[in-house]
Amino acid sequence: MTLLSLFFIVASLLSFVGAQIVLKRAMESTTKSGDLRSLRFISRMAAGIVLMTISFFLTLGLLQRFDLSYLYPFQGLSVIIITIMAAIILKEKLTMQLTIGGVLISAGIVLVSLS
Amino acid sequence: MRDRPSGFGNPWLQLVLSVMCVLVSELLLKRGATETADPASEWSWTGINSLASPLVWWAIILIIISFISWLYVLKYIPLTIAFPLSRVVDILVPLSCWILLGEVISVRRWCGIGLVVVGLALVAKPIARIEERL
Repeated sequence: MTLLSLFFIVASLLSFVGAQIVLKRAMESTTKSGDLRSLRFISRMAAGIVLMTISFFLTLGLLQRFDLSYLYPFQGLSVIIITIMAAIILKEKLTMQLTIGGVLISAGIVLVSLS
Repeated sequence: MRDRPSGFGNPWLQLVLSVMCVLVSELLLKRGATETADPASEWSWTGINSLASPLVWWAIILIIISFISWLYVLKYIPLTIAFPLSRVVDILVPLSCWILLGEVISVRRWCGIGLVVVGLALVAKPIARIEERL
């Protein structure tokens, strides 16, 4: 793996995680105000979709070069990263059980893709 | 968690729908991307030339459906619960290869699948308690 491919793997992962956080924020603002035309909702939704699109095309570019089974362990890490980010940025309650569950899921995904 | 609709509007059902669409789209994307692979091209890191494959377009339609139901899920379920659960797709892919394609799953891979199942159970357990309170 070259430094360049590592860069693209990390970039696709971070844009994916960022998109989930922004989209969750966007959908939360609809439950508070109920207004789908509010500037806050539209801007967050747009940012989320842009990030999703970036991550989608970066993933396609990576799939052309590597096997899916090689790329999958990195996607597995997204469970841990999103769980931590949701706790920090979205202030969601993170129990010990959720943390252990997230770590086990990530570890399992890595193990499945390594074999 | 708040009051939520039942039936087709049930967020847990939408989570399942979203996961199923992702499962099929992943397989379509890999095939489509492989068909159109052209690593020599300058722009291939962007993956844009994969759009030449119809399989990729089918996958995009499925991704849009899964995206809409995922947004609906986000409205009702915390991300710390919904996202780990959505990764059940990571064991459904190898399992569907085993069942549908007759591929062999190694001991190490079964261990990985086992870990994911235990992890999913841990994440899903608090939900049962939350649902009981409602």
